[in-house]
Amino acid sequence: MEETLAIFIASTLRLGMPLMLAASGELVSERAGVLNLSLEGMMLTAAFFGALGSWATGNPYLGVGCAVLAALGVAVVQAWLSVDLRANQLVVGIGFNILALGATTLLYRIIFGGLSREEIPGLPKLAVDGLSNLPFAGTALFQQSVIVYVGLALILLLWVVLNHTSFGLAVRAVGDEPRSADKAGIAVARTRRLAVLVAGFMAGLAGAFISIADIHTFTENMTNGAGYLALAAVIFGGWNIGRTIAACLLFGAATALQFQLPAMGINVPTAFLLMLPYLLALLAVAGVVGRLEPPTALTLPFQRGK
Amino acid sequence: MTTMTILLSLPDRRRFIGVAVPFIAVAGSLMIGLLLIAASGKSVPDAIEAFLDGAFGTAFAIGASINRAVALSLVGLGFILAFRANLTNVGGEGQIAVGGIVATALGLWPPVAGLPLGLAVILPLLGGTLAGALWGGIAGIMKVRFGTNEVISTLLLGFIALLLVYWCVQSTALLRQPQTSSATLPESLPIADSVKLPSLTGVPESPLHIGLLICLLLAGATAVVLQRSTFGLRLRAIGLNELAARRAGMPGGVLLVVALALSGAFGGLAGAIMLQGEQYYLKAGFSSGYGFDGLVVGLLSRGSTLGVLAGALFFGFLRSGGISMEIMAGVPAALTLVIQGLIVIAVAGSVILVERFERGGR
Repeated sequence: MEETLAIFIASTLRLGMPLMLAASGELVSERAGVLNLSLEGMMLTAAFFGALGSWATGNPYLGVGCAVLAALGVAVVQAWLSVDLRANQLVVGIGFNILALGATTLLYRIIFGGLSREEIPGLPKLAVDGLSNLPFAGTALFQQSVIVYVGLALILLLWVVLNHTSFGLAVRAVGDEPRSADKAGIAVARTRRLAVLVAGFMAGLAGAFISIADIHTFTENMTNGAGYLALAAVIFGGWNIGRTIAACLLFGAATALQFQLPAMGINVPTAFLLMLPYLLALLAVAGVVGRLEPPTALTLPFQRGK
Repeated sequence: MTTMTILLSLPDRRRFIGVAVPFIAVAGSLMIGLLLIAASGKSVPDAIEAFLDGAFGTAFAIGASINRAVALSLVGLGFILAFRANLTNVGGEGQIAVGGIVATALGLWPPVAGLPLGLAVILPLLGGTLAGALWGGIAGIMKVRFGTNEVISTLLLGFIALLLVYWCVQSTALLRQPQTSSATLPESLPIADSVKLPSLTGVPESPLHIGLLICLLLAGATAVVLQRSTFGLRLRAIGLNELAARRAGMPGGVLLVVALALSGAFGGLAGAIMLQGEQYYLKAGFSSGYGFDGLVVGLLSRGSTLGVLAGALFFGFLRSGGISMEIMAGVPAALTLVIQGLIVIAVAGSVILVERFERGGR
């Protein structure tokens, strides 16, 4: 029983980690008023280029760098389209997701064709001295790859930046009241572009986590909806970073339960557990769990004097 | 050539730009596709030949492509209906899924399958349509009651619907075929012949079914409703300025719910037609890609019914050709996804460009 619980905690963290990374970045972007439906595409692109970089250089850390750069590349175009060209953010996001699925599958077939499922150099797991020897879940919690430690630190940093710095205030201002923010001298477009890049950076780490730290290979469509789950977590978390992280862990736990419950002899339909995150997010946006207020200008492009 | 002359002779320059952008995006993306084939070291002529063969080569290929186009058109028509009221329905995939579930459930129910006079075909189609309407309507009610953004709700409802299909085919208590061995696939039983859509041509080689007629009829009806009816005008009014429309005495909330329910109904019908016309049994992921493709078709059409039909035919043939290209010329079918993604991004990104031209042209 104790062992089952330790495994459950470990897999909750493993499945929740990419969600936490992607969702915390996306939250910053959404607070600035830009919704990146392309989160899934960014993560998939990052997972692929991370795997490619790690495989080509033999160095998983360089792989993480490639992953982040690739996701940032998508984010730059997304920011240009959503902020400067004022394109429909949802449509652009869907376009990127289709493109990312097509391009990574195509490149994977061309480059890895004969070597499919080739194992790539993965990130080693680093134990935190002292803590990883704790009984029960010590190993599960405190023996992780570097992305987990850096990622958690970055999430904490994002929380501080968003709530306690002038940049964070600017982000919230351009997401809620872009017109007033503009009049107060805040550079709306620049703030929004930066916020999208934050989402890209974190989605890059999330993709790298999946391919380089967790699975150690690339498979077609390997993110398999994790980006959409992260979007749902932001909604369920009510655009609040602490609650969003909690939502990611909850979604991770729901996904982990599909392997754990049958092992414990409890029969719950897998489909229901997989559906749970989306159902909870739907109830959340319907206001069932308290009234949720999305950023007022979410998905609305800003144009001065219009 | 003739189309170009007609277009150029149009006095309305705005219209020309609006039509030209999707064409330029499509042509540019196809060029990039050809370059990618060349870059991957495959023979471009071979790939084109395989593509054309798969899209137009045989009666089967043409029929299958048109059937695909029928489903895409329906989703696209639903999209432009809601979009007229400034509502973005991104849940086409889920609406197809619930339509497919209900059509399967009704089709597998002996009392329905035994009905005379074509009712065995019609009832599951109607059931699927209603299911889609319900799925879209939920998003409408959430919008009116709780102010929930329909993009978020239709997207979430889409995922829930996809998992409902998965649930239905995983559980023998629902739609999964009786499990006789551990090798029994998680699929429903095939529907009875009486429930299947009749062939349009009567030629056994062609899978083309009467879904095409249903689709053309509905496309005509949509065009009339959008352009010539009070309802269409009201949708437009509420889309342009909700507050003003309400002040003018229009039932704003009801209109929004009806618009999303109608939009969903088209998706549900598409799901029922896909199931009764070609697939014949329910399996997880049976709607894969159709919903988002249909959305893209609706978007590219810029609200025109003819545009929806043209876009759906293009994507229908593109997908079929892509599959053949993979089998015959070794070019991954994912290439068609790349082309499609590029088209969507280019068209969405060029909106501001079109606006600028429009202002300059005046």
